[in-house]
Amino acid sequence: MSAADPIIRLHNINKSFGAFRALTNVSLEIAAGEKVVILGPSGSGKSTLLRTINRLEDVDSGTIVVDGHNLHDPSEDINRIRMEVGMVFQSFNLFRHKTVLDNLTLAPIKLKGLTRARAEEVALALLDKVGMRDRASHYPVQLSGGQQQRAAIARALAMEPKIMLFDEPTSALDPEMTNEVLEVMVTLAREGMTMAVVSHEMGFAREVADRIVFMDEGSIVEQAPPTTFFTRPESPRTRLFLKQIL
Amino acid sequence: MQEHQVAKIEVGDGAAIPNQADRGLVSAWWIALVGTVSLLVLLPVLKPDPYLSILRVVPDGILITFQVTILSIALAIVIGLFTGLGRISSNRVINLVASLYVEVVRGIPLLVQLFYIYYALGRFVRVPDLLAAVIAMSFCYGAYMGEVFRAGIKSIDYGQTEAALSLGFNSRQTMAWVVLPQAWRTILPPVGNEFIALLKDTSLVSILAVADILRRGREYASESFNYFETYTMIALIYLLITLVLSKLISIMEHRLSSYERR
Repeated sequence: MSAADPIIRLHNINKSFGAFRALTNVSLEIAAGEKVVILGPSGSGKSTLLRTINRLEDVDSGTIVVDGHNLHDPSEDINRIRMEVGMVFQSFNLFRHKTVLDNLTLAPIKLKGLTRARAEEVALALLDKVGMRDRASHYPVQLSGGQQQRAAIARALAMEPKIMLFDEPTSALDPEMTNEVLEVMVTLAREGMTMAVVSHEMGFAREVADRIVFMDEGSIVEQAPPTTFFTRPESPRTRLFLKQIL
Repeated sequence: MQEHQVAKIEVGDGAAIPNQADRGLVSAWWIALVGTVSLLVLLPVLKPDPYLSILRVVPDGILITFQVTILSIALAIVIGLFTGLGRISSNRVINLVASLYVEVVRGIPLLVQLFYIYYALGRFVRVPDLLAAVIAMSFCYGAYMGEVFRAGIKSIDYGQTEAALSLGFNSRQTMAWVVLPQAWRTILPPVGNEFIALLKDTSLVSILAVADILRRGREYASESFNYFETYTMIALIYLLITLVLSKLISIMEHRLSSYERR
């Protein structure tokens, strides 16, 4: 597969919650190694769109192909596909009954059959990378939000995913902690991870994104590289959004 | 959002679980305990006939009461786990069966269920009385336990489930490794409550031919005609058991919540 081939392909996605149309005919392709930041006002469907990529949200119609697997093909094992797609949540969602180290080793041991020793080796290396090695034996309640989120990123990475999804990873954090999490994400981006990020962090979007996707009212309004997006937005809706936020 | 909510599940019929905060000597629990123990010692010493003879016939009954209680609660926990899972299942049929079971059991008095299962079983198979009693008690308590499990599982933030699913766990693995291990802490205290309630309710099995504490007492009373003295001692013995158990549960509950504070 060449670098330009999309590793994620969403085609004509529709999704409603009752009478509310969350997504209307959304199509989006993300290439392997590409970093896409999804922006938009709240309620614009960005999180819902992100969550369809690992089927935490089922769609009403449309097709989703991740790394060659059609998510709604009954012969595909969704759990295997999810192993390839890491996800980071706004509320961290570390397993509260387990230490940081056990949070990282649970899935690799149970799902990939790693020995405990091997899984811990991998986990400690990842904790080193996110600056959390000295917190390995702590429980989530003993950690700050920023620490929890860094551990949660490491937990997702422990499965060695091909794609990482970030659902407003810093929205629940205060500014200092936001930076420590963003630093980890920047490092990850530099290493060539395919990333889809829903965020309000404009600095991060500017620095890291290959492409900005702007959504409003369940549709993609505009897509462009960050320089174009922030300096010469095409749509009036985008211009209004940027004016309010910058 | 970060605050973990340790949901309190209120289930009514157990003994009052003493509050860990009441550590003073003059708590109701201490007064009850000291009173009960003093009476259980003083009455047989001061008036051996009939109190001491009553005490002599009861121990076998205590054993039976504990047997019925422990077997029933163990079975009820298993039934309760599956009922609780059934009640939150997205499978319509499983959900309906579990809900129907809970509705039916909750609507029929335990004593009626006890008679019904005892005699219904008796029509088809010959089972020992003790086993019939255990089946009936756990059938009833399984439904209550199912509600405890359901509430316990629902008290765990859905984010935990989503995190597990996103890593590639299927829903059964998510339940077994992520949700249930956390739900235990919410579930255990009300299970303790149910345990005490069940222990008291086992006195109903004395109506069947099961020789529990109450049955022993009734047999003694009907021979000796010392009804008042016998039932005084029986009541004190039940009280002593439930007081001790409720204290143990309170200690356990305290340990569990300190896990969360660590």
